[in-house]
Amino acid sequence: MLVSLNWLKEYVDIQLNPYDFGECLTMSGTKVETLTVVSEKVSNILTGKILKIEPHPNADKLVVCTVDLGTDERIIVTAAKNVFVGAVVPVAVDGAIIADGTQLGVSDFRGVSSHGMFCSIEELGMNLDLFSKEIMEGIYILPNGTDPGLDVKKLLWLDDVIIDVELTANRADCQSIVGIAKESAATLNLSLGAFESYNKVESTNEIKEYLNVTIESDLCPRYVAKMLKVKKIEASPLWMQVKLLNSGVRPINNIVDVTNYVMLELGQPLHAFDYHSLDSKKIVIKTTKNEKIVTLDNKERDIDASMLMITNGTAPVAIAGIMGGENSEVTDATSLIVLESACFNKSSVRLTAKKLGLRTEASARFEKGVDPELAIAAALRATWLLEAIGACEVVEGVIDVYQQPVAIKKISLDINWVNHFIGISLSESEIAALLSRLFFNVSSENNGILQIEVPSFRQDIDAREDLAEEVARMFGYDNIPSTIMGGETMIGGKTPVQKYEDDLKNVLVGQGYFETLTTSFTSKRRLSGLNCATPEDLVPLVNPLGEENSIMRHSLIGHQLEVISLNYHQKNPFGHFFEISNTYRKNPKLGELPIEEKKLVLSTYGNDDYFELKGMVELLLAHTGIENPSFISGGSEFLHPGRKAIVSANGIILGEIGEIHPLVVKNYGLPKRTYVCELSFSDLYDCGSMGQKFVELPKFPASNRDLAIQLKDTIPAAEVDAILRKNGGNILESIELFDVYTGSQIPEGYKSLAYALNFRHQDRTLNDDDINPVVEQILAELKSALNAQLRE
Amino acid sequence: MELELIQLKDRCLADLKDVCELKALDNLRIKYLGKKGELTIALKGMGKLSKEERPVIGKLANEVREEIENALSLQKQILDKEEIDMRIKEEVIDVSLPGKKHFSGSLHPLTTTINELKEIFLGMGFSIAEGPEIEWAKYNFDYLNVPLDHSARDLQDTFYYEDDIVLRTQTSPVQVRVMQEQKPPLRIISPGRVYRSDEIDATHSPVFHQMEGLVIDKDITMSDLKGTLNMFAKKLFGEQTKTKFRPHQFYFTEPSAEMDVTCFKCGGVGCKVCSNTGWIEILGCGMVHPNVLKLCGIDPDVYSGFAFGMGLDRITMIKYGINDLRLLFENDLRFLSQFK
Repeated sequence: MLVSLNWLKEYVDIQLNPYDFGECLTMSGTKVETLTVVSEKVSNILTGKILKIEPHPNADKLVVCTVDLGTDERIIVTAAKNVFVGAVVPVAVDGAIIADGTQLGVSDFRGVSSHGMFCSIEELGMNLDLFSKEIMEGIYILPNGTDPGLDVKKLLWLDDVIIDVELTANRADCQSIVGIAKESAATLNLSLGAFESYNKVESTNEIKEYLNVTIESDLCPRYVAKMLKVKKIEASPLWMQVKLLNSGVRPINNIVDVTNYVMLELGQPLHAFDYHSLDSKKIVIKTTKNEKIVTLDNKERDIDASMLMITNGTAPVAIAGIMGGENSEVTDATSLIVLESACFNKSSVRLTAKKLGLRTEASARFEKGVDPELAIAAALRATWLLEAIGACEVVEGVIDVYQQPVAIKKISLDINWVNHFIGISLSESEIAALLSRLFFNVSSENNGILQIEVPSFRQDIDAREDLAEEVARMFGYDNIPSTIMGGETMIGGKTPVQKYEDDLKNVLVGQGYFETLTTSFTSKRRLSGLNCATPEDLVPLVNPLGEENSIMRHSLIGHQLEVISLNYHQKNPFGHFFEISNTYRKNPKLGELPIEEKKLVLSTYGNDDYFELKGMVELLLAHTGIENPSFISGGSEFLHPGRKAIVSANGIILGEIGEIHPLVVKNYGLPKRTYVCELSFSDLYDCGSMGQKFVELPKFPASNRDLAIQLKDTIPAAEVDAILRKNGGNILESIELFDVYTGSQIPEGYKSLAYALNFRHQDRTLNDDDINPVVEQILAELKSALNAQLRE
Repeated sequence: MELELIQLKDRCLADLKDVCELKALDNLRIKYLGKKGELTIALKGMGKLSKEERPVIGKLANEVREEIENALSLQKQILDKEEIDMRIKEEVIDVSLPGKKHFSGSLHPLTTTINELKEIFLGMGFSIAEGPEIEWAKYNFDYLNVPLDHSARDLQDTFYYEDDIVLRTQTSPVQVRVMQEQKPPLRIISPGRVYRSDEIDATHSPVFHQMEGLVIDKDITMSDLKGTLNMFAKKLFGEQTKTKFRPHQFYFTEPSAEMDVTCFKCGGVGCKVCSNTGWIEILGCGMVHPNVLKLCGIDPDVYSGFAFGMGLDRITMIKYGINDLRLLFENDLRFLSQFK
């Protein structure tokens, strides 16, 4: 919200420089984002009245003006079209500086010296967005009757500092000059100025002859109406326009400007209706059936039954709290107005504004919550202004339908509790004083308990903790000491599974793997590249950001392929990646949250083959304490049918590993050989046995036997391995497959697997008599089970 | 016999002069001293000698053997040294050639940041709590004192799976679960993934990360909140770091504050990193709202506590000077490999 410092100073005597003042406001809870001078550079620009306009002797497009600058007269040459004799305009005399920093001198225009320049609003450095095109393009014409010789920088408040404040959602009361003035006064411990208001003792209730107001909805706690006869619709006085401009509001005419002025000043949105256009003697506030209304911005709006409307009893004339209807707009022909100062339910305004896609200055204020007590004060302030600027005459009487009066909140505040809660030690009177500064009505009986009456504009204060915050911020958060927590000693620390996750990551990083960070979203289209049937238990979102992000991923593999594709196309020659993240699936049980499963994914491309990745997985499994995992041919459809395996341990399937299917390689734009492995993180952890145990070093030597076994090449090595282990007994210490051979030395369709078997006994040295029978038994079973034999 | 031995020795020493490699040296040893060598053969004639001659010749034979052995051993040393010298000469390498490549990977910078933050709070006796990302709306909003009509609940701001199930918009529901399931005293942090319906750009992402902290105990004060977070700031950004607590508003806490730290880059003078303010906004915090305590079954008249929350992606970006959030999610190796 934009706050004019000059305007604020009319309420609070701020002596600090703007930056120090901004810092004070920030530290008491009104965060100042920026401080900007409207037009910092301009200087020496004066008001000048054009006395005479003569043609230029040597140029058709130029004119020569004689200008009264109060103390002297100057000749000024201009090409502007909109100047006229009698007009008062801003004149940058020689030596003046305009908004862009240019300093002016006397210049020669085809033989005529010009002693200055007329200024447009751009040259004055004013906000171009707030003016019509005509005003923007010509010389800025000041209102009739403006004295010549005035300093334009002061007159138009170009030296004003605009404070952009960020308000928190709970401080609806701060959405105005007076609201910020209250905070400023409390922060700086200064008094708050008052404003003039209509307070004439009226003898009649004339308004009743014109209007009757009824509320037929509980979405309108209060509706105040005041009526005024229009004397003349014209531009509002310059001082009013300047305040609107410095608040970011475009001046329109005296009536509209007053409603905006009071909204900016007090925070109460007002609306003026053309009484005769209402075409009825009544205003009824209610929800209607489906209707259409053309709003003041000349757009037709569809109204549904949830939206609160201001009606003339039959037809809507305004959308409550958001925007008026074109059918009751104040025009130059308006002779009688109804001034509305009402309070509407904040949720209702918010939802309606959202549905219509129409947010206004008024709706923004109603959404946060407007104090119902403000309605009458704002109506009377606006009435006073309309009368004071000569725009209207007052119709006596006021209509005030106040169906839900605000209850005054009272809270008891225990001084010891506040001090203890915040960690300070203030006396009862000090705390009372801090709260009084914020306009709380505090009564103290010197018994350690303060009785606090909350002003109606502080709708955010409900409990003692809210008051504690008020005390703390007035005392200054910076003045609260920093202390070390007392209480029980807490050990804290990571759980074993948290440690395991960190450990696994460190192992992978040490092996050259890079951790990735990918989003949780995917989509059916993105998954279609995997050439798989889409699982049925996916978790779709109701309101995703586009199809791309419409479901929660059930696997980490899709994103890994996207990562590899990106890196491949970035010409990174190879890559190893991993991620440990959640995947999501529908819960088969009704009324339960979806299932979240943490998974570990590895992916590689570049120099590696299947066995590189498998070796990495084996290393991780060994690190986890999983012995003898199995890799059995099989796995998802997106994997190469001849190069994929299900990984399991102790009969539990952990996941799968394999090369990406050539078709999927094409779909994702992957390098020809891409490998992935995805494992369930929790199953991995559950299957493992962490923590190393020491085993005594062997005292007796081992005996080694190499066996080259020839068998059909369709038989997986895992089956040979199983037979070796089964028959090796407890003297078989380890098995290593060191060579796989196919070729001319052996028959076609066969392969030779060369194993190194290591035998060892714990208590003695083994000899041939111990080992030979074991080897024979192994060979016998290889022969009978797999028809395999020792290679000659 | 005597002459025979002397000649044998002379012959051997003469042969030795021609030996210039170890193999020949070994052959020479075998020729003279081996089992079937010349000396052995010569000594076979010992039996024929008289009793008197035997010890004399025996002594001489030993001297001859010793002399030959010494000469052989000396020659061996020389040849060994020659061979080593030769090898060294041949094995000279260009030590300035590059080493063989080994590759190490890296943790994602976000993980590194999380690890750093975890370490700080683990050291203060905190535990790490985790909870579901797809969460009951009541845990994400209601129990956190968020008004029923608040715009944060809108479809525009929050992703919904069902009417009452959302993608959590903050890690605070973890705090609710901990408060409901465990008894005070509590000291937890909850890092994790959160979701808000923001289109992705240089500073926004619909998926991002937060870490929140919660302390509940008897006699926890706002000054404890300041003390704890001051310590945290100094550990994360350096001992010289100053903090500034500004009043703010959150539904979850009352009183509430935002904490700024002096810019670690310029030390508070003002620079590009801190937009010339000298300060960087780091986290939101406050005393846990009594409504939240009550909703979670904790008596606010007995216990009090504080909570804080910070954006991890943002802190990571600030820490490393990363200018675009999208880089964190892109996983380009040229980016990832900068964080080894």
